[in-house]
Amino acid sequence: MNFEELQQAWQSHGNSDKVTLDTDLVLKEVRRNAANFRATIFWRDAREIGVAFGLTIFFSYQGMKTQDWTQGLIALACLGVGAFMVIDRLKQRAKQPISNDPLKGCLESSLLQVCHQIWLLKNVAWWYLLPLSVAIGVSMIHSLGRAQNSNFPASVVLALAAVVIGVLYWGIYQLNLLAVRKTLEPRRRELETLLASLQ
Amino acid sequence: MNAQQQETLFRRWLDEHAGLMWKVVRGFAATPQDQDDLFQDVLLQIWSSIPAYRGEAKETTWIYRVAFNTALTWQRGERRRRVGHETFLKLDSSPQTHPSHVDSLREQEIVGQLYSAIRQLPKVDATLALMHLDGLSYHEMAEVLGISDNYIGVKLNRIRKQLAEILKGTTDEL
Repeated sequence: MNFEELQQAWQSHGNSDKVTLDTDLVLKEVRRNAANFRATIFWRDAREIGVAFGLTIFFSYQGMKTQDWTQGLIALACLGVGAFMVIDRLKQRAKQPISNDPLKGCLESSLLQVCHQIWLLKNVAWWYLLPLSVAIGVSMIHSLGRAQNSNFPASVVLALAAVVIGVLYWGIYQLNLLAVRKTLEPRRRELETLLASLQ
Repeated sequence: MNAQQQETLFRRWLDEHAGLMWKVVRGFAATPQDQDDLFQDVLLQIWSSIPAYRGEAKETTWIYRVAFNTALTWQRGERRRRVGHETFLKLDSSPQTHPSHVDSLREQEIVGQLYSAIRQLPKVDATLALMHLDGLSYHEMAEVLGISDNYIGVKLNRIRKQLAEILKGTTDEL
């Protein structure tokens, strides 16, 4: 069978194969999916950014209540992380792939987004972990200085807390790297291959 | 474009072009579950894209773009956001439009083999194969993909050979 015959069969079959849709039901589903999608994005942003700003308020209040400037420093670090996430989301929203763009343009935007996501996760230590670690570290050293006169072995407690936080941060960093390796890098390679096949 | 206009256009597109959307879905997803997921994604993207539609591009070009962009970025098994999904798709084959029932069955088998062959092609080649089989011009295909017309011809020659290779022995038996 040659290609023209295949094409003929394809087109004739396509014309006879009638796709029937319950349009009202489709509309209901599409609207619900669109609302679900918007809600998912909203709650993801609210969760991540809300936690950062919630902690800012909490540590600001603690700082004022205990007259401890280092709590204010932690609040500032949380605020910085939250602000970074807000600015980054807004900047990336403007660069999102548009589904009605030609294929090549859409793939290029998708690739840029994935590359940015990789950059973000690989550098999580700089924009997320480091500011918080420095602020918490300063707060701990400050607390250690204040607790020197007490009988309680404050240095031991602080050392333990530092170890716990260190392990926790190491875990967060490794999780981010795992996400890059398992999900984002294969996705980047796939998009690069797709784009290369259009060059 | 207001919400009423968006709904009217969407209803018309479903009425006139649902077959086109379904072809794209079948070209990229093999199992009924995947087809269902991808089809819903395509519908969602088409709905979302309508406010940006100004009538400058042909409707079919627009729908192909949205459907292919969705299919190319769709990842199998990723879909978990739908809740309480109801199936709204019905496929009706109309054998009475064919000279005979036997011919119709034969055609159906050929088309089934073609879909299977298309799914074995690299994804970008699959988009071209689907449009080529639907009889789009080189210029229309280039508009959908965002590449030059000249490139299309070169690509199609290779794709025809690849399809022939995959289908070798299969369509002859049909």
